Order: sequence, then C-alpha cells, then structure tokens
Amino acid sequence: MPAAVHSLPAGRRGAVEPLLSLRGVVKRYREGGQELTVLDGVSFELAAGAGAGVYGARRAGKSTLLRLVAGIEAPDAGAIVFAGRDLTALSAAGRARLLRGDLALLCAGGWLASPGETVLDHVAVALGSLGMTLAQARRRALETLDAVGVAGLGGERARSLGCYERARVMLARALAREPRLLLVDEPAPLPSVSDREAFCALLRALAHERGFALLVASESLSALSGLQALMSLSAGELCASERGPYAATATATDADAGMDARAGTVFELRPRRAGASP
Amino acid sequence: MQTAGTQGKSVDMAMWARGGSTPLRGALLGLLLERPGYGSELIHRLIGRVGETWRIEPKYVYRLLDQLEREGLVRSEQEPRRDNGRRMRVVYYPTELAGEAVTCWMQTLMPRAPVRLELQAKLAVARERDLPDLLVALRQYERECLALAQLVCPGQGRPRSYKALFTDCVRDSVHAILQAEIDWAARTRRRLREHAGGRA
Repeated sequence: MPAAVHSLPAGRRGAVEPLLSLRGVVKRYREGGQELTVLDGVSFELAAGAGAGVYGARRAGKSTLLRLVAGIEAPDAGAIVFAGRDLTALSAAGRARLLRGDLALLCAGGWLASPGETVLDHVAVALGSLGMTLAQARRRALETLDAVGVAGLGGERARSLGCYERARVMLARALAREPRLLLVDEPAPLPSVSDREAFCALLRALAHERGFALLVASESLSALSGLQALMSLSAGELCASERGPYAATATATDADAGMDARAGTVFELRPRRAGASP
Repeated sequence: MQTAGTQGKSVDMAMWARGGSTPLRGALLGLLLERPGYGSELIHRLIGRVGETWRIEPKYVYRLLDQLEREGLVRSEQEPRRDNGRRMRVVYYPTELAGEAVTCWMQTLMPRAPVRLELQAKLAVARERDLPDLLVALRQYERECLALAQLVCPGQGRPRSYKALFTDCVRDSVHAILQAEIDWAARTRRRLREHAGGRA
C-alpha cells in the first residue's frame, strides 16, 4: 500500500536550494538469499544550518541512511543531492573528496588511534589533505578541541582516554575540517544519561555557533530533542512530525508533486533563527 | 471521617491522595507550594515541565483549584493585574495544610494511568476493510508522538540542583513513553502490512 506523499506547497518549492535533498531513495541488501529493503522511498530536505533527528529502533536503517548521505554506499534508486551535487553521479573518488571536506560522519565505532599518538595529533592528522602545514593543522586542532571543551587533553595519549573524553575528541576531529553537514550516528553512547544530554546539548550549541547542519540518528528519542525536526524510520519508511516549535513545514499534497508514489515524506527545514535556540 | 470543609483544620489525606485526577491536583498543589500563582500561570509552569503530553484543560484546572479551596488546601484572593491595575485576577495561595497533603500524595502509589485507548479499541473491533484506515491512523499517531517529543525542552547535561534533576526525570519519562508508543505504532503498521502482503 503506497504511503502518503507529502511535499512542500508549490510556491515554496525551489525557493531556497536545500543543502541536502533526498528523493525516493531506495536501498536493498541481500541477506541469506533474501532481499531486504532497508530504505523504501525515503525523501526529505535539510536546509543549511538546520538540524534534524532520525529516531529508529535497532536495525531500522538509520546507519544505512547516514552512510548513503556520506557517500560511503550508493542507493539502488533515487537521488541524493548535497550542496547542488548529485552524489549518485559522482565517482568513488569524488564522493571520498566530499567526505573529507564538506561532510563529516561521526559514529561511535570509529576510534582508531595509533599507539603513542597524542590527542592533538589525532585531530591534526584529519587535516592532512587540506594543504596545511603541520603547525597550522595543530593550531586548528587545538582551536577545535577548545571549542568542544577538551583543550586540556591535547598532550594526552589518544589511546588512554575514557569514553567521555573520547566522544569529545572524536567530535573535534569531525569538526576540524569545518564541514557544512555533520552526520552523527548515535551521539555519545555514554553510560550516564546526563553526560549524553550534555554531549547532545554541545552538538546543538556548536551547530548553532558555527552554522553547520546536523543530521543525527539515534535509537533514543531523548538524544534527538532540541533539534528542529524529528523523523522516525521504520520498515524503510520515514515519518516526520508536522508541528512543534521547530516543525518541519510539511503539507499533504497530490500526485502533481511528481514524485515516486512510494516516497515517504518530503519536508523542508528552515535554518534556525538567531536567538531561537530552545 | 474528617474533611476540611466541615472541620476547618484537617483534611482526610488518604482520601485526598486517592481521588480522581490526582496527578493534576497534586501537581497544582505542589506548584502553589513553590510559590502562589493564578490559573493560567500555573498551567504555564506545569507545561514547562511536562511538555504537551498532558492535555491540560484550563476549565478543568479552575475546577480543581476550586475543589482544593473547598478542601481547605488553598485559599484565593482577588488581586489587581500587574498589566492592568483596574482588572482583577484570582491568585491562589497554599494553606498550612498543603505541605502535608503534598507529602501524603508523594507517599501514595497511584493506580496506573490509563494508556491511550483509542487505537486499541479500534484494533479490537476492526474489520478487514478497515485496514487502510488503521494504517493511516497508526502513522498519524506516530507523527503526533514525534511532535509531542519535540515539545519537551531538551536537557542540558548534569543537573545543578535537585529541582533540575527532578525535571530531567520527568523529561526522561515523557521520552520513554513516547518512544515505546512510536515503536509500537511502527511495529503494528509493519505487521498489518506484512499480513496483507502475504495474503495478496
């Protein structure tokens, strides 16, 4: 049964080019001889500087969604347009360039520090391909560590950090290149609820100050509060909230939206207004 | 059995804590203990802490405040409005019995709050041809839960005071309930569709 198609009112469509736009994205995996549809016509838009959360239970397809947006995997159908470029039309090298520049993916499992590496160098190494000197890279790394509140850790061994510090250093590493979009797969899987909330608050504050867009996926609804839009992902479909203080503008529409009939929800996120932080 | 209305100075605490709508009555009295307030201000304060997951009818709040006054737990005074001194507003103050009543309420285990019955009732009596409507209703419910989750103020990290800690725990409860509801709605939609697909 086709899900309802939602789109923007015709007048608002195309008014401002969104930073990220997904249209009818389909992703299938083969698992044990069976085909598994993980994403079944997912569509949404994210404006520059806006923040959106994707809630979903385990194995709902959240990580797949983020990996597609990051260009690590390619969809089976549909289009993903980031900053005016269609990711599905880019070569693997082009997608990799994107991931090193305008886009950053932060996921909990990605902690690989060399033995003996200092925290400062761990962050500075991420800047290696930007044509900076080591001194410039270290200066930028220190600035970013300061922004996430762990400037004092610069001289520590990266491998000796606890999970709380590690989460912040990973964030610094993702932000050092000053991406326009930060993708976060399960923000701060820390044991303490308060630490988790503090980390999420830091994410929102940094996005607000530095003006990057945020797409956060979590299996915990509380990790996503304070973001401008909230969606849920289940059975390959995206469902978006229609109201709330940071509501995505979503309006029911007819077939003339010209979209795949299976497309889930299309909505636009307006950039956060100055001083409108929750 | 003693009641405040007839005896003046005492309230049957056990009865008070067990009556209908205790969450709202208890919360209103608790808010008044913090500081006196008028109807809409109390509603505002409460929504600030529990979000919009409570359907708070202003009319109902005034009725409960009247009831609390009859029970001798609050008293009310006509006071001029700050913005317009010629118009009056009713400000409620806790009486000396209010503290004990709130303590008693804190110690009394409430019967479980009813879950949202509407979708359960519909599913319980649905016919095969209602399937498309059920799927739409479930999706709408999921949307509503997402919207309610958005209305809860986000946490800021380690709470600095007990007051902030308690508020954080309320938020945690709201999120846990909404998350369970979203999971249920998504799971049910999936089951209904899988079943329909298997039979087609």
